[in-house]
Amino acid sequence: MKKILLSVLLSAPLWVLGQGFQVNLQGQKQIGMAGAGSALALDEASVFYNPGAVTFLEKNSVSAGVNPLLFKSAFKQAGSDITENVKNKIAPPFEFYAVWGPKSNKWKLGLGVYTPFGGLVDWGDNWSGKYALTSLNLKAIYFQPTLSIKITDRIGIGAGFVYNHGEVNLQRALPVNFPDGHSGHATLEGTGKGYGWNAGLYIKTLSNISFALVHKSKVITKLDGGSAEFDVPNSLRSSFPAGNTFSAELPLPATTSLGVGIPLSQSTVLAFDASWVQWHIYKDLTFDYALNTPVLLDKPSARNYRDGSSFKLGINHQASEKLALRAGVGYAFSPVQDGYVTPEAPDADRYILSAGLGYTPTSHFEVNASFFFEDVKSRKQKNIETGLDGTFKTLVYAPGISLTYKW
Amino acid sequence: MKKYILNSFIAAAILFTAACKPEIETPAGSTAGQANFSKYIAIGNSLTSGYADGGLYLEGQKVAYPNLIGAKMATVGGGAFTSPFFTEEHSNGSGYIALTALVNGTPTLTPVTDKLAYRDAAKHLDKYAGEIQNLGIPGMRLDLSFDPTLTFSAANPFFERLLADAQVGKTNYFQFIQGRNHTFFSLWLGNNDVLGYALNGAVAVTGDPTTTLTDKVTFASLYTNMLNALTANGQKGIVATIPDVTAIPYFNTVTVPALLAAAKAINPAATAVYIQTGTGTVRAATAEDLIRLPFQSAGLFGQGAIPYGLHPLNPIANNWVLDKDEVVKVKDYVNSYNSSIKSLATSKGLAIADTYNYFNQVASTDGINVQGVNLKSLFISGGAFSLDGIHLTPRGNAIIANVFIEAINAKYGATIPTVDITQYRGVKFPN
Repeated sequence: MKKILLSVLLSAPLWVLGQGFQVNLQGQKQIGMAGAGSALALDEASVFYNPGAVTFLEKNSVSAGVNPLLFKSAFKQAGSDITENVKNKIAPPFEFYAVWGPKSNKWKLGLGVYTPFGGLVDWGDNWSGKYALTSLNLKAIYFQPTLSIKITDRIGIGAGFVYNHGEVNLQRALPVNFPDGHSGHATLEGTGKGYGWNAGLYIKTLSNISFALVHKSKVITKLDGGSAEFDVPNSLRSSFPAGNTFSAELPLPATTSLGVGIPLSQSTVLAFDASWVQWHIYKDLTFDYALNTPVLLDKPSARNYRDGSSFKLGINHQASEKLALRAGVGYAFSPVQDGYVTPEAPDADRYILSAGLGYTPTSHFEVNASFFFEDVKSRKQKNIETGLDGTFKTLVYAPGISLTYKW
Repeated sequence: MKKYILNSFIAAAILFTAACKPEIETPAGSTAGQANFSKYIAIGNSLTSGYADGGLYLEGQKVAYPNLIGAKMATVGGGAFTSPFFTEEHSNGSGYIALTALVNGTPTLTPVTDKLAYRDAAKHLDKYAGEIQNLGIPGMRLDLSFDPTLTFSAANPFFERLLADAQVGKTNYFQFIQGRNHTFFSLWLGNNDVLGYALNGAVAVTGDPTTTLTDKVTFASLYTNMLNALTANGQKGIVATIPDVTAIPYFNTVTVPALLAAAKAINPAATAVYIQTGTGTVRAATAEDLIRLPFQSAGLFGQGAIPYGLHPLNPIANNWVLDKDEVVKVKDYVNSYNSSIKSLATSKGLAIADTYNYFNQVASTDGINVQGVNLKSLFISGGAFSLDGIHLTPRGNAIIANVFIEAINAKYGATIPTVDITQYRGVKFPN
């Protein structure tokens, strides 16, 4: 009799980390080309896209940009006639770059601060999947100092060290009821850090077709001392101790990209990127609570991701001396296998469409804008662990703008 | 080229401003299929009435599984669904038990005694006179539906309250449910034909027809009569199988190992728990012998000069125990009833909600996960069963409503929407 209670409440996984978390918004020019451009020495965003190309940039520059992102996801429970939508919340992926090097020298230094992973979904506190998740706000901010060196006039290499500052706030309802019937609530919040690197090779052939090979390493982000708050009826407090903390590891995957840049004319260039995202490292997720109880165990939650991939094709057209126009298409294969789709990142294979423009009023200033759209395919799934059963459909809209000063 | 790109950029920007919501289409549309839900009636016992926490009260009545189904049928041509609700003033109906404390996992259960619906000292309940479609009556059995003496209609207060004074003692349930012009029915009856016996520790009390075990052949025959009446005008409907009564928390909370551990904590010399079996034998109990839930608050265990239940000379009495042979017997009856139910329903072309199968999944070690909620057949913590260890919580009702809805949809090609179970609570924990 003493031990019968509550072995259930948290046997469903408390947390899951999905793939839709990879945010492909790191430079307005490349975003306008669907994220292609690792084989083009376009601008200071090469610090992210290909450190090997940075040394081929003609000018020193600093730039800052933002891409307010609207992640519109809908869910319809299996058999239900009700479609539920996430709340309209705007995530702010941003990027800041600086590139400097002595003119006509063989090396350049770069710094990038950008947000390659993140997620913002808020399904509301009373939706039909609330016991799996109510909201997630995840941010990963990478800081990347970089050195890029010309080996020959046509070959550049570059590498950067990556420091990640991660922030997470995850909430879900708990299936325990207060006397008035409302459900309990769990909030996990913490910050973490991780390290990695980013290296690239840039080759410009005699025909001016360029190639890129870039590897961005995995970044195992460790969270320590995160707060685990449980709003539960007082009679259950001993099972959900107040002031609890947790630690966890978030494995952010490595990405290997192969890029090609093909000049079509003096003013038009085509870029193609193929990326292999090594999500297989994401086997499971474990929350290690400082205070364990029979219902609050450090139970691993299986993820079993496979590797994902994406293919992106973009075009950059210099319409006039001052105006550049861009467009792109892409397709990405989801790393989330059947049975593991979650409301945190209701992932599926997706189409990418983008457009962009750049305006250069003076030789020092540049404004670039982009619009990025993703159509994540509808996916009917029953999650193996939570039993959440229904169809997800997601559309992503992200307009963006950046300002650049060059000298 | 230039113009095209510019245009698409503008188009995309407009699209964003509009912020189109993603759409999810339902392929099957909205249809009643081959069924007609314009007047649905629900035949059954306490489970059908919404009885929970050891009583019938308004909150439970509102979330009874037929009421949840009836509300969803409305989207595919169903009519109103009426129930004999207690009034707001008397919303606590027969009274029920609430969880008022939980200390180190030990619950305190307290009767709720305000807003009761008793109209006299003999504990007759407020009458309900209007038209009703939820015809579930707590305590109703298949055999007593055909009560030839007609006395059960007076003896059962939940039945009595639905009858005009002139009818009391002059009708039985089989007569009561007829003539209601239904177009669709659900029938979940027969649980008490075995549960009544089991709840009394497999002791049939002479003169108390609610504690007997209904003969298997009689069961099949009466079930046939019931289905014949309900389908007399070609109506479609759904029947439900009877859950394994030995798997409910009522029989699996006070366990022999737990009792023994409690005894050892006080007296390390304790070696066994002693029970009196159905055959009168006294022996050491095993984990296969099931003790009834109320034993935990009966204040008997270990009491007396010869400690109760801990010595062969003072064993736990037969009526507290479903011993392992009785468990086998009860399971055998459940299986027999269910094979009758399934074969009769199949021969009539009716849908079958296999609640036997479903509750067995709930009773498995890991339980089942439904829409992010884990359900187990555990007392208080399991989420599906209310505080009496027998009847369902609102969450349990919602889940069973979906078992019915899915079976109806599958059988008749209908698209009754399922119930969002996350809107319904489990046990209320004191704050």
